[in-house]
Amino acid sequence: MRVQLRSAAEGEGFVPPSSNDFELPPIFGDNPYTTKPIFLVLLSVILISTFFILSSRKASIIPSKFQFAGESVYSFVRENLAKEVIGHDFLRFVPYLFSLFTFILVNNIFGIIPFIQFPTMSRVSFPYILAISTYLVFHYVGVRKQGAFKYFKEIMFMPGVPKAAYILITPLEILTFFVVRPLTLSLRLFANMFAGHLLLLVFILGGEHLLQGVIGLKLISPFAFAIGIVLTFFEFMVQCLQAYIFTLLAALYIAGALADEH
Amino acid sequence: MANREENAMWSIFGYLLSGLIFWGGVGIALDKWLNTGYFTLTGLLVGISGAIYLIWLRFGRE
Repeated sequence: MRVQLRSAAEGEGFVPPSSNDFELPPIFGDNPYTTKPIFLVLLSVILISTFFILSSRKASIIPSKFQFAGESVYSFVRENLAKEVIGHDFLRFVPYLFSLFTFILVNNIFGIIPFIQFPTMSRVSFPYILAISTYLVFHYVGVRKQGAFKYFKEIMFMPGVPKAAYILITPLEILTFFVVRPLTLSLRLFANMFAGHLLLLVFILGGEHLLQGVIGLKLISPFAFAIGIVLTFFEFMVQCLQAYIFTLLAALYIAGALADEH
Repeated sequence: MANREENAMWSIFGYLLSGLIFWGGVGIALDKWLNTGYFTLTGLLVGISGAIYLIWLRFGRE
């Protein structure tokens, strides 16, 4: 339907990409649960599981290339994110962080894979769910480790501050811990993916539109495509970086909840 | 360490944001309630100072 809209509008001049380009119609009939992002999420789960099951099935001391690829992703998350940030009790969080990292990474990279070309995380609900689950994990961990009373007391009342200052500070601590953190966590991922996809649409659809214009415009269009290609590489970098930052912050929040004093 | 800096950066951002939202919000509510016009600005200033104080407590005291 979107394609039809686009080609129908093509005659009347260029339609700049907008947030409408992210609202994809259902694939099967009117069922709103059969949109492209949903299938992409399912596809990502299948891809990730297949890849890591295959790469770890015939594990040997001298790893095959396949096993090596799987293991280097795993050890990256385990050593650079979990171990370095969380410290001695890191091992039980590795599965969560690892799933988070690979899931976000694959769904982000969908944005530049030909024929898929849609970053799932540019639909805001997906980052919301990831942020909510991270939020539950780190508060749960904190409450389990320190006891509910002590944990919340430590968030709200920092030791060594004059009593009067608590009126000023405590609301900010509560707001930061319970609202701003999960919100920025999800919105950062969402906004980066949304903006990146929009940017690519502008240059590539724009280039295509220039190609249909008069001869002078046709000559300009290769530049638009060239910038589109450069931006695709740039997007790849942003996509990896955002997956990394999301996981890093999740690990940092868990580490903060585990620490006895902040 | 890069990770610590990353953490500090986002925490600072979060504190500044919640400072502005909370005390600015209180200011707006007071302005609406009392039909005045200066509490919003005061609230925002109080919020940002509170946030900066908090950031100093967290990261500047060591």
